[in-house]
Amino acid sequence: MRPDDRKYTKTHEWVKRSGDNVLIGITDFAVQELCSGNEGDLVYCDLPEPGRVLEAGETFGEIESVKAVADLNTPVAGTVAEVNVAIEEHLEILSKDPFQEGWMLKITPKTKNFETDDMMDAAAYEEFVASAETH
Amino acid sequence: METWRLLRTFDGPAGWNMGLDEALLLLPAERPTLRLYTWDPPALSLGYFQRAADVPALARVPRAVRRLTGGGAIHHAEELTFSIALPADHPLYAGPVRESYLRIHATIARALEGLGVPASPRGDRPLASDRPSGGMCFEDSCELDLVWGDRKGVGSAQRRTGGRILHHGSIKLSPSEFDTQVASIRSRAPGTTPEQLADLLRLAFEKEHGIEFTEESPGPEELSHAEERAPHFTSDAFLRRR
Repeated sequence: MRPDDRKYTKTHEWVKRSGDNVLIGITDFAVQELCSGNEGDLVYCDLPEPGRVLEAGETFGEIESVKAVADLNTPVAGTVAEVNVAIEEHLEILSKDPFQEGWMLKITPKTKNFETDDMMDAAAYEEFVASAETH
Repeated sequence: METWRLLRTFDGPAGWNMGLDEALLLLPAERPTLRLYTWDPPALSLGYFQRAADVPALARVPRAVRRLTGGGAIHHAEELTFSIALPADHPLYAGPVRESYLRIHATIARALEGLGVPASPRGDRPLASDRPSGGMCFEDSCELDLVWGDRKGVGSAQRRTGGRILHHGSIKLSPSEFDTQVASIRSRAPGTTPEQLADLLRLAFEKEHGIEFTEESPGPEELSHAEERAPHFTSDAFLRRR
């Protein structure tokens, strides 16, 4: 079971409240889609500078696996307060611990109520992923 | 039966080639597109994240671009390039990236069978063509790459953005000045032209996936996007962004 202290999106990001800020990352499913369990397949990750203002849905970075470059999108609008720069040097963090050590951005949200109706809790995300895996 | 669009844009210049692929990725489209093309004049393409300094060949080629897709550098000469653009939830690309490669590479292998070329995924085999220090795509390999005669003959990479996918690939007809280590189709089927290979690829996609192609030209919006964006892909700012 994935952590139930956060919300998940259909595009496989997670968002978690952290004081006045929000932590954003990608799920184990997203990592698995990119690298099929070979952690060495993740080769590059480009994250934004603190201070950048992002709209919901905007691309904040890019991640490259051996065979694909994919955009990283924020589900929450706000200003980048902090970036987990350790990921850029140690991509294996994303394979080993995408939900704790593998956070990507800390954002100060534009509005306090940043959750949207289409975000899912852990149980709903489990169902969503199970359905994606059978199609 | 699903209908795809087939674009043949042979002998395009490097920046325009990349601009058109960007148009296929970003502009709304009713149907998936398979584009088959060649480069005139030949040019080197860098992978999206490659450091310019890591590719010594860049200093020696007269023309270069940076691609939207990842992977290593390719010298686009003596080859057929393909691009596939479609929604990310298309059945051919649904699920892990790895599985989408297996499906597409199996289709390419089927096309190459028609020329007597026994292409198969590398798996765990060591390759005679591997020399990873130069940053060249065909001198580095992974288990999914299509090889024959212990050399890599097909290089491909994907870009996933905004719910769509662009899958780029280069199928080598023979070695070129800057891609000397590649597996060669012409060593098995002398005289093969890019046009013949394009026909075989079309046939393989039709047979393997039940696709019906309508052969078209790029639309006006795609063409103006390609024209407008061509200078970006060859610009120093983009080429040397890393």
